Amino acid sequence: MEKKYKLNRLKTTNDIRPLVDQHWASLREAKAKGEMVAWASAPTFIFAFAMGMKCHFMAGYSAYCGGIGAAVDVLQAAKMGGDLAESCSYHRLHMGMAEAVRRDIPINPDAILPIPDIMIAGRLCPEMAYYAEGLNRRLGVPVLPIEFPIVFDREDVPRIKKYFAAQIKETVIPTLEKVCGKPFDYDRMSEILTVLKKVVTVRNKCWEFFKEKPSPWTLWDYGVSIAPLFYMMGNPVGIAYYEKLLKELQERKEKGIPAIGPEGEKYRLYWDGWLPWAFLGKFMRKLTPHAAVCLTGRYLWEFYPDPDMIDPEHPVETWINLYYDGKEPLAMEYAPKGALHDIGNLIEDYSLDGMIMFSSKTCRLWNISQLDVIDILEKKYGVPGVIIEGDMIDPSMVSDSQIDTRLEALFELIDARRR
Amino acid sequence: MEKLLKRIGEITSDPYAYVARLKEEKEKRIIGCFPMQVPEEIVHAAGLIPVVIWRGNEAVTWGHSHIPPYYCGIVRSFIDDAVRGKLGFMDGMIFHVRQCLLIMDIPLIIERHVKPEYMKLLYLPPVYPGKATRDFLRSDLELFKKSLEEYTGNTITDDMLKSSIAVYNENRSLLERLYEIRRKKPRILTSAEITKIVWAGMLMQKEDHNELLRDLIPLMEARTVETATTKIKVIPVGCLCQAPPFDVLNMIEDLGMVIPDDDLYVGSRYFANKVNIDDNPIEALAERHLKKTPVCPTKGVWDVLWADDVEEMVKLNNASGVISIHVKFCPPHACYYPDFKSRMIEKGIPEILVQVEHEMLSMEGIKTRLQSFTESLGGNNGEKI
Ligand code: SF4
Ligand code: SF4
Repeated sequence: MEKKYKLNRLKTTNDIRPLVDQHWASLREAKAKGEMVAWASAPTFIFAFAMGMKCHFMAGYSAYCGGIGAAVDVLQAAKMGGDLAESCSYHRLHMGMAEAVRRDIPINPDAILPIPDIMIAGRLCPEMAYYAEGLNRRLGVPVLPIEFPIVFDREDVPRIKKYFAAQIKETVIPTLEKVCGKPFDYDRMSEILTVLKKVVTVRNKCWEFFKEKPSPWTLWDYGVSIAPLFYMMGNPVGIAYYEKLLKELQERKEKGIPAIGPEGEKYRLYWDGWLPWAFLGKFMRKLTPHAAVCLTGRYLWEFYPDPDMIDPEHPVETWINLYYDGKEPLAMEYAPKGALHDIGNLIEDYSLDGMIMFSSKTCRLWNISQLDVIDILEKKYGVPGVIIEGDMIDPSMVSDSQIDTRLEALFELIDARRR
Repeated sequence: MEKLLKRIGEITSDPYAYVARLKEEKEKRIIGCFPMQVPEEIVHAAGLIPVVIWRGNEAVTWGHSHIPPYYCGIVRSFIDDAVRGKLGFMDGMIFHVRQCLLIMDIPLIIERHVKPEYMKLLYLPPVYPGKATRDFLRSDLELFKKSLEEYTGNTITDDMLKSSIAVYNENRSLLERLYEIRRKKPRILTSAEITKIVWAGMLMQKEDHNELLRDLIPLMEARTVETATTKIKVIPVGCLCQAPPFDVLNMIEDLGMVIPDDDLYVGSRYFANKVNIDDNPIEALAERHLKKTPVCPTKGVWDVLWADDVEEMVKLNNASGVISIHVKFCPPHACYYPDFKSRMIEKGIPEILVQVEHEMLSMEGIKTRLQSFTESLGGNNGEKI
């Protein structure tokens, strides 16, 4: 008889939803409490947090919308505002939310955020600036733009780092000081980084459990746990969360409880690109019956892999260095050369069998040269990969039958290589 | 005039053969510049021939193994041409990787499969305020110049750069003059012919294009054209990085509309803004890059509105409407478009969207849209009265 596989859910991850809900609720309530509000794209929110502002984060909001099931209505509101379905769904969610507010279109109230005092447009992906530009045109909200270049070649790093640093000094800090009417709070930024350093250190211990065979947890578990590493940065509850997670993983290891029951995974997979926030359950339901599990992904490894780089004594420099310094600067991982390096490491470090390359039809950030990237990696590491096309949020772009066929093809390829 | 137009037609109907021949005739190296913001003047000053990379007219074949179908036409077509070996005559290629996400796909594929002798990635920043952006832009241009010097083994002096700028400025002036004539005599040439004249200039050595324009312009000035007052004037807008399909331009005219001007990349956007020849040349090229108009949705400009630019053009030409041409899967234009449309509505300027794809499966949908647009403007779809 065919074996039945099932997912052994972690208990700790149940704690995250209330924390995340609380984060977004505090943002929703900020204006009523007289607090300053910023919206930010790319990792620029830390500057707003340092100033005591409540700050949204573009991708975080989008993931949240997907997670609470609000995305379809918000996307519909964007359509009513004239947005084209081919525009990136994170952009559309923001335009949709603003349209809903402007025209009183009913959407899930949890998806409605206060219109900010400033939009910090970190242009890591050029499209991260479009929503801020658009909302400025529609609502007149001031924009604080920061060019945040992805780096293609290592030799370009020093001058781009210098440019990024100059913008922070010349534009970001003075603008926030002006908006908030007080000097930039370097001490608060240091405190945030102190907490981040602790969270990252514990998180790295959790990462080690992905190396276990069978693995006691999945990439999806980690994916739902990223808020404390990112847009909830500086909140000490993140330390407690990761410590609890680490404890549960240790217990699982001791008791021999794998993420996929009864005896663990058959296929250890790499996942490239955004997590499909609105479809995490769908993918899990498709992977688990095959005893397949995603364990790593370049996107979720971007959250500060090296705690030693976090120096709270030098907060602004730390932030610059995290993206533009070190052996493999984070700003290089989106470009193909950095991707090859990072994915290659993950394949080796976590003994992976195959790659799922999620290709979003509306966001090309992680798709850059993806077909060639797979080809190079397959040849170098002997690990097969398939592309699954879709979207992180928009259900009209996700096809069940394509997912099924591509996954089957992947499992066949892995099996064939094992024979 | 017909002879000149025939020559232009030959160049644009087979740009591959033309550019390959150009390389042999001039005995110079050809450098493909991916549209839209590479400062060609620096390449020209290095003694090389810059040509603007174009979208071919063949369906994508080998390119499917490298680029998904949900990418814009020029990126798909260019990659397909490159991996099929159709661009072997290009000794060098330049990509501005911060223009949009889609361009970022190109470098690895080119480097891996058909790496030319010279390849350069530019990081030209968006038009953001502040000294940091200006300094970075200048340093990017300086490094670009240096890399060309290393490639050719020759120093590019300020004087060399200034004389290249002068050639390009002359080209801009001549094209401006061409457009002035067209504005006065809108039916002097078809819109496809005008587009081909501009496009030819992106493929030819600029001096040759200047010569051609110097011959063509007096002939155009001399020619009288019957003015049809019943015709409705429309302004096509957008179509970033590539020439609009000529079938679409012809269709607009066949439906009884006249195009007296345009806000297209292969059109007035390409030759807008001269470079100030009195400044330090690199500074001057940086200044041109930092111009906010014509508003380009790839350049991070939000405080000047594209719709205001176009409104001026509409008024200048006494036009009745605007046809937005959007290259399918071009995110910068797609994300900007709703605001453009709503401003057009606010301004009371009739506007319609036409989406063009690399492999256009059917023109019927576009025809129906354009027909109803003409009717809404009071036209009669080109029928003889
Ligand atoms: S295209 Fe992708 S990376 Fe860019 S803003 Fe949209 S979702 Fe974010
Ligand atoms: S057409 Fe648009 S998406 Fe394509 S390369 Fe040009 S700007 Fe980028």
